[in-house]
Amino acid sequence: MRLEKCWFCSSTVYPGHGIQFVRNDAKIFRFCRSKCHKNFKMKRNPRKVKWTKAYRRLHGKDMTQDSTFEFERKRNRPERYDRNIAENTLKAIKKIAKIRSDRSSDHIKNRLKTGKIQRQKEARKQLEQDIHLVKAPLALAQDSSLRLPKIKVNVSQTQTEENQQMEE
Amino acid sequence: MAASFASKCSRVGRSLLGGPGNNLSGLQSASNEVVGNNVWSQQQRTFIQMRTVLKVVDNSGAKKVMCIQALKGKKGARLGDTIVASVKEAMPNGKVKKGKVVYGVVVRAAMQRGRCDGSEVKFDDNAVVLVDKQGQPIGTRVFGPVPHELRKKKHVKILTLAKHIA
Repeated sequence: MRLEKCWFCSSTVYPGHGIQFVRNDAKIFRFCRSKCHKNFKMKRNPRKVKWTKAYRRLHGKDMTQDSTFEFERKRNRPERYDRNIAENTLKAIKKIAKIRSDRSSDHIKNRLKTGKIQRQKEARKQLEQDIHLVKAPLALAQDSSLRLPKIKVNVSQTQTEENQQMEE
Repeated sequence: MAASFASKCSRVGRSLLGGPGNNLSGLQSASNEVVGNNVWSQQQRTFIQMRTVLKVVDNSGAKKVMCIQALKGKKGARLGDTIVASVKEAMPNGKVKKGKVVYGVVVRAAMQRGRCDGSEVKFDDNAVVLVDKQGQPIGTRVFGPVPHELRKKKHVKILTLAKHIA
């Protein structure tokens, strides 16, 4: 039994699922479900289809380089069955999967961090400027908890005199 | 119409067979029609039955062969079955000539066939290897991939001649 990867979306194909298409040049395409198979028949490039792993890796949305991927490399040499090795491998698989998922979610979180900071900055600015849409300015002036702390700016006396002269 | 639909639903690595490859004018009702007006509707790949033209992938001399009878199966032959066929097109100097009635083993079928592990395989075209009555191949070489369903059907000789086993 071997768990294959879908050619289109790179998800695992478990036994009993999917279709295997053999082209005349002896290249085998495995598909996990008919969605991927139909997209293939439409000759879509998986690197351009947004929901596939190929697109996500290509555009940096998902983690590409990591040491946890080394464990999943294909080995064509069958190993002699040893109960201890099998047991340890099963435990290791679970642990490696957990580590990999943690690392990939960190990668995504880091990627989204700059956007989050930007959104918070914009929100703060909007709160400052457009609060009059929510509460009347009179009520705002009386209730100090709804305002951001005021910053005092010192204006020199000579400048105001110049402005008065210009207005006249 | 059959040809235009075949070209619309073409896939990567399309087969050399043109319109007559897909049997839409079948005599039996087992042949399935192309569904609907959808541009991306798939062709229903069906059995190999009377009048199906298959490609010959050995060096026996024949090029195209038309199925006369599927030896097993009421609806038609599938991957790995033997058929009786008539040679429609042949190389000028070969072991078989045009018009001869031969037996053949289907080595590639566009219709998917279920494997014992639950998955399904399908190939790009319909192809056949000519054999004699005992099941020994007439030619000495086989081109293209062949499925390992042939091992169960005891066509071991064809498997040994093949370059690639799917």
